[in-house]
Amino acid sequence: MKGLQAPAALDGLQKGALGAGVAGLLLCALGFFTNAEQLYRSWLFGFLFWTGIAIGCLSITLIHNLTGGLWGLVIRRLLEAGARTLPWMAVLFLPVAFGLPHIYPWARADVVAADALVRMKTAYLNAPFFLARAVFYFGVWFLLSHMQSRWSDELDRGVNYLKTSRRLRGLGGAGLLLMGLTITFSAVDWAMSINPHWFSTVYGVLFMVGQALSAMAFIIVCVARFGGEDPLSRVLRKEQVHDLGKLMLAFVMLWAYISFTQFLIIWAGNLPEEIPFYIQRLQGGWQYLALGLVLFHFALPFAVLLSRDLKRNARTLAMVAALVLAIRVVDLYWLIAPDLAGHHGAGAPGLHPHWMDLAALLAVGGVWLTLFVRELRGRPLLPVGEPEIKELLEARAS
Amino acid sequence: MAEHAPSAKRIQSETDALIAPGHTLASITEKIASLALKRRTPLGWFVGFGISFLLLQALLYTLAVLLFKGVGVWGINVPVGWGFDIINLVWWIGIGHAGTLISAILLLLRQDWRTSINRFAEAMTLFAVACAVIFPVFHTGRPWLAAYWLFPYPNTMGLWPNFRSPLIWDVFAISTYGTVSALFWYVGLIPDMATLRDRAKSKAWKIVYGMAAMGWRGSARHWHNYESAYLLLAGLATPLVISVHTVVSLDFAAGVIPGWHATIFPPYFVAGAIYAGFAMVLTLSIPLRKAYGLEDFITMKHLENMAKVMLATGLIVAYGYTMEAFMAWYSGNPYEKFMMANRMGGPYAVFYWLLILCNVLAPNLLWIKNLRTNTTFLFLISLVVGVGMWLERFVIIPVSLHRDFLPSSWGSYAGTRYDWSAFLGTIGLFLTLFFLFIRFMPVISIFEMRTILPEGEGGEPKS
Repeated sequence: MKGLQAPAALDGLQKGALGAGVAGLLLCALGFFTNAEQLYRSWLFGFLFWTGIAIGCLSITLIHNLTGGLWGLVIRRLLEAGARTLPWMAVLFLPVAFGLPHIYPWARADVVAADALVRMKTAYLNAPFFLARAVFYFGVWFLLSHMQSRWSDELDRGVNYLKTSRRLRGLGGAGLLLMGLTITFSAVDWAMSINPHWFSTVYGVLFMVGQALSAMAFIIVCVARFGGEDPLSRVLRKEQVHDLGKLMLAFVMLWAYISFTQFLIIWAGNLPEEIPFYIQRLQGGWQYLALGLVLFHFALPFAVLLSRDLKRNARTLAMVAALVLAIRVVDLYWLIAPDLAGHHGAGAPGLHPHWMDLAALLAVGGVWLTLFVRELRGRPLLPVGEPEIKELLEARAS
Repeated sequence: MAEHAPSAKRIQSETDALIAPGHTLASITEKIASLALKRRTPLGWFVGFGISFLLLQALLYTLAVLLFKGVGVWGINVPVGWGFDIINLVWWIGIGHAGTLISAILLLLRQDWRTSINRFAEAMTLFAVACAVIFPVFHTGRPWLAAYWLFPYPNTMGLWPNFRSPLIWDVFAISTYGTVSALFWYVGLIPDMATLRDRAKSKAWKIVYGMAAMGWRGSARHWHNYESAYLLLAGLATPLVISVHTVVSLDFAAGVIPGWHATIFPPYFVAGAIYAGFAMVLTLSIPLRKAYGLEDFITMKHLENMAKVMLATGLIVAYGYTMEAFMAWYSGNPYEKFMMANRMGGPYAVFYWLLILCNVLAPNLLWIKNLRTNTTFLFLISLVVGVGMWLERFVIIPVSLHRDFLPSSWGSYAGTRYDWSAFLGTIGLFLTLFFLFIRFMPVISIFEMRTILPEGEGGEPKS
């Protein structure tokens, strides 16, 4: 259908993103030659943040396949474009794969030789198995995002609506099952195993919720940016913005719930194998980030998102979403950087952000955004095959 | 809200099954109200009520023996200080959750299909909470002193409960939950009480229902206040669904017992509670709709939706088991590893594997649509899940406790006949209350059912 392409304003965004990405990559290249170890660690941080958004997009798409609702149809193309960047993220994973010993203690022979606990875990935490699992995760994500896009495309072209939408529902059910497992184990592999001594059974859930929240915040920012322009403006109403706001509020609360109960249980138990995680993150400057998370990852967004008027206004909602997106970066940093910076226990390093952390965030982010816009422009911005969208477009045209 | 019209219409025509065709405002009122007002009570009701009432006597007898002799009549010992009593507490509290979820959360999510099942699901919540509190209260041994132990009040001995203990949070969480659930249920009943008052034939019943209706006249002002009160209560009840079972899970997770101390406990307990609760709603609603011919109101669509919620929450619970097992190995902690090996291969291994069968394997059959829409199968699977959730708490509580850190203090555990009679007795209490409820109250919300009628049949225009 004509006139449903992404708005021209995206050109500027794509160019800007590409510029930022190239600049970030150049900085990272510079960093590589000055301090390669730091670069690998910073890269992991940038990689995890942006991949998280893409994974979140895929999860929300699959959830929407099961629940339905106009809110999800309006943003479906944004979500699918986000999910289709995942195969490319496999390429951006390569620096992590090459830098394993610089990032993960279990990948260093000297650590393994000296530490019986890590030695026991090498049955799971070893380079070949780790990489094979990464291939598996990306394979699953590629497959899911590919099938989602293909069937969604078939709906656009009007191929057998009932059959295809049933397929999408089936993909939602089976896909979420796979997402649950791949997100959990990728979180254990990529983030939790930076400190191979520590463990928490809810860690995977924390990542699922965090990724969904990042994705929802990102989508809301996009909706506020392009929602006023054709073609999104033809179907977007206050009700859908309101629904997106409610979902973001739900994810904010869920994140706080999981984070707080994890803290409470570990604090109450006070076991020597678990509590160092929080001791390390509540001193040496990290405590200010922790306090910032309480205030800006929960208290403030929670309080303002209770307002109905705020949630129904795309512009104000996007301001909160931008704050959430920024604080998601801080949350991820607080979660992984204390362990990345050096190795645990007494005398843990304080908060010393490195310029390469920002450079990597910029590099991966620029590349990711470029890819996102590219995927977005490849297809109509609205799923025109869905009867609800079709009706809205026709009502508008007549 | 004009934008929602196409989707609402489409969903209606796709399934058109929230209410069978052909019903009008009058037929709905007649059908539901007559269940309570009809003079003749079916023979089956007397049989079911009689059996339940007998079981209830077993509970009263058990509690009398317990008060006379002490909690030693139950099988609890050292090191297994929590046995059937706490298993049953968690099991009953969990069952209650589906009622609140259906009535409050689905209301806030604008899910129409809650309408015909919310009333008895809420009643189920109340009765389940009543059954649940019996256990911790009598577990204290001297319940007449319980208020003194449990509630913080300034007493002459300067004693306060330990506010850092989740057990004291439980007191507040469960009593708040019970209160809000009762209010929510009762507020929802008021307009229907007025309908029964107006339709009752005898003077006595008119007075009884009239008092319960609190002077409801159905004026526009009444409805306006009523709707805001109902929404506010729904908003209050929603966090309670999560908080109550979170606190219950913290009773275990805040301790350091291997098998209890796991950060995944809060979300996984909440999911388990909803799972068990929906299983119980199916267990009750399938015979109920059959016996009273309510297939027009509690349709296959309702049953299928509940089956889907069960499948989803069942998968979350299975995720919890998987994480527990994986992290027990990954932690490298010998006690954690031993705990898991003991669950899977120790003296109570058969319970663990039965639990996996009931809670993880069996519900996956619900992926198949033909099974999901077969009432006999659904009824059976709901019973299987009910058993599975009881086994889950058995595996968590006594099986974690009977192997202490020191092998010299290892023990074993089995419920005595008083454990069983207390458990079966609360089932009796629950069913007794439920039978009374279906005899004297409208089991389905009459006025809410009227709102889901299609337009042409006298329903309000969908806006």
